[in-house]
Amino acid sequence: MNRKRLSTGTEGLDQVLGGGYLENSLNVIMGAPGTGKTILAEQLVFAQATRERPALYLTTYSEPLEKLILNTQAYPFFDVSKIGVEVLYEDLAVGIREKGYSALPDLIMGFLSQRHPRVLVIDSYKALCELAESPEESRTVLFELATLLASYDCAAFLIGEYSSGTLTELPAFAIADSILSLQKHASGGNDQRFLCVEKLRGSDSLPGLHAFSITSNGLEVFPRLLSPQSFTPYKDTSVERITSGVDGLDSLIETGFWQGSTTLVAGPTGSGKSMLSLQFLHKGAQSGEPALYVGFQENPVQLSRITKGFGWELEKLKEKDLFEIMYRSPVEMQLDEVATRIFERVKQGKVKRIVIDALGDLRRRSTDFNRFSDYIYSLTQWFALKQVTCVMTYEVKDLFEFHSVTGEEISNMADNVLLLRFTPEAEMARTLRVVKTRGSAHDQREHVLKLSRKGVAVGEPWKGSYQIRS
Amino acid sequence: MVPAPASYPASSENHVLALVVERNPIVQRLEKYFLEQAGYQVEFATDGVSALARAKDLRPAILVTEILVPRIDGLTLCRQLKSQTETKDILVLVFTHLEAEERAREAGADAFLQKPLGETRMLKTLEALVRRHQELLREKP
Repeated sequence: MNRKRLSTGTEGLDQVLGGGYLENSLNVIMGAPGTGKTILAEQLVFAQATRERPALYLTTYSEPLEKLILNTQAYPFFDVSKIGVEVLYEDLAVGIREKGYSALPDLIMGFLSQRHPRVLVIDSYKALCELAESPEESRTVLFELATLLASYDCAAFLIGEYSSGTLTELPAFAIADSILSLQKHASGGNDQRFLCVEKLRGSDSLPGLHAFSITSNGLEVFPRLLSPQSFTPYKDTSVERITSGVDGLDSLIETGFWQGSTTLVAGPTGSGKSMLSLQFLHKGAQSGEPALYVGFQENPVQLSRITKGFGWELEKLKEKDLFEIMYRSPVEMQLDEVATRIFERVKQGKVKRIVIDALGDLRRRSTDFNRFSDYIYSLTQWFALKQVTCVMTYEVKDLFEFHSVTGEEISNMADNVLLLRFTPEAEMARTLRVVKTRGSAHDQREHVLKLSRKGVAVGEPWKGSYQIRS
Repeated sequence: MVPAPASYPASSENHVLALVVERNPIVQRLEKYFLEQAGYQVEFATDGVSALARAKDLRPAILVTEILVPRIDGLTLCRQLKSQTETKDILVLVFTHLEAEERAREAGADAFLQKPLGETRMLKTLEALVRRHQELLREKP
C-alpha cells in the first residue's frame, strides 16, 4: 500500500523521512531541552493545517501555552490568521488536573471528535507521563491512546525531553511508528545540531546524522550527502578533456583535465593554489561553462580585489550566471550546509566547474574525520556522475619540503594531485609538480610556477628534486 | 439525522440502527460519537459470535465490522449473515485496517472501508448504504 505522506514543512527533513511523515502514524520527537523539538513540531503544524482538517497543538506541563505562542510567533511560518481556525491550541494540563492521568485517552478522544484534527501534537508527552502513578498505569494509558490514535485518521506527535539512553526502556518508543532524535554536538565554541531517524516503520529513511540549523526562518535540515547509487562516472572521456586554464599545465597531463575529474592542489600558504584554481574557473566561465567558487578564507570583496588585479571581469560573468562565489565564514560554516548547497547546484546542472578552497577549513568544522571523508568522497562521485570538473585546494604547513600531501587519504579520492611548494633557495621560486594522474600519462618533473599580472603559468622544469608521497 | 423508513424493523425514535462490531472500548466510544452525531442509533458487539446473535435479535439496517474480531472473524460473520434468511438483508460494511477489499466483497460485504476512521468518508459510505437499504425495502412485495 502506498501510504500518503505529510510534509514537515522542511524540505530537507522530508527527504530524510523518505518523503515526509506517514499519514495516520504515531511519532515521537525526542531531544534535550533547546534542541528544536517545538519549532519542528510548530513548523509541521502550520504546513499541514487546513480549515477542514486543522492541526491541534496540545500543551501540557513543560511550557505554558502563552509562552509557547510568544516564542514561536517570531518565525515567518507562524501565520496568526490561522490561529483558532486552522491551527488550534489547547491546554491539556487543565483536563489532566481535573480528571487524572488515566483520563488522557478520553480527553484525546474528546479533542478528536470535536476538532477533527489531521495533525495532533502533545508537547510534552514526557511531562504528562511523569504524572502516572505507576509504570503499569503509564503503559496501559499509552496503549489505549495508541489504539485510539491508530483508529482515527490523523498523524500524532508525542514530544519529549528523552535521552537516547531511554530508547530501549520506555513503552512510547516501542509503540511509535517513528522516532526522530534531535541532538546538539559541541564543536569548538559552537554547537552543531544534528537529527537522526532512530526508527521509521513502513518507509525508508536516510541513515545517519543529518545536520540542521535554526535560523530566523525556522528549522532547516541538510540531509547527509550519500554517494550516487548508479555508477556512470567516467564516460568515454578520451575526447572530453578540458583545459585547466593555466598556461603550460595541460601539456603536463596529456592535454588537460578529464571532464568530471577531481584535482587536488596542495601546497603551503602563498604558493598559488587559490590563484591556480580561480584561473581554472575563470577560463571555463569565459568559455560558457558555469563556474562555482566555494571559499572559506577570502570574502567576496577580497576576492574581487584579487581578480580585478588580473584584469578579470567577474561581475560581467556573474551577471550572465557564469560565475558564482559561495563564501562561508570558517567560524560559523557547517560542512553539511556547504555540501547541501553545492549538491543543489550540481543536481540542477548549474555548475560545470567548481573549486573548493580549502579542504582544511571544511575538515576543521567537521565533527569527525570519517564524516568529512565520506562527504568528500560522495561529492567527488556526484561530480563525476554529473560531469562537473572540480579543483580542491589543501594547505600544507611546510613551505619547502613535505612528505605527504594531506595526511588524511583525501588525495586517494582525487584523480589528479598537483603539488605546489617554494624552493628553498634565496629567491624562493614557486614550483608545481604533477604527483598523480588517474587514467593519464603525466610529466613527472617539477616545474617553475610563475605568477604575474596575467595570472599563473607553468614554466620550465626546475632543477632539483625531492621525494613526496601522495 | 438519518430517518428510518416506516417499515423499518429495528429503529428507535426513527433513527437507523447500526450494529458495530468492535472489541476496543475506546474505539467504540469514538465510533459511537461520530455515528450518533450523524443521526444513527448505535449498538455494539465485541466479537463475531455475539454480533451474529445481536444481528438476529436487533435486525439492524447496517452492520459495521472489523475483520480482526474475536471468536469468529468479520469475514466469516459477513458470510453467515448473508447466508441466513433473517439476516441476509442487513447491509454489511467491512471497516478494517487490513487491505482486504476483494476478500470482503467475496464474503458478500456491501461496502468496504479501510481504517483509520475518517468520519466524512465513513458517513458518506453509510448514507449510500442507507439509501440502498431503503430501495431494497421498497422493492420488497
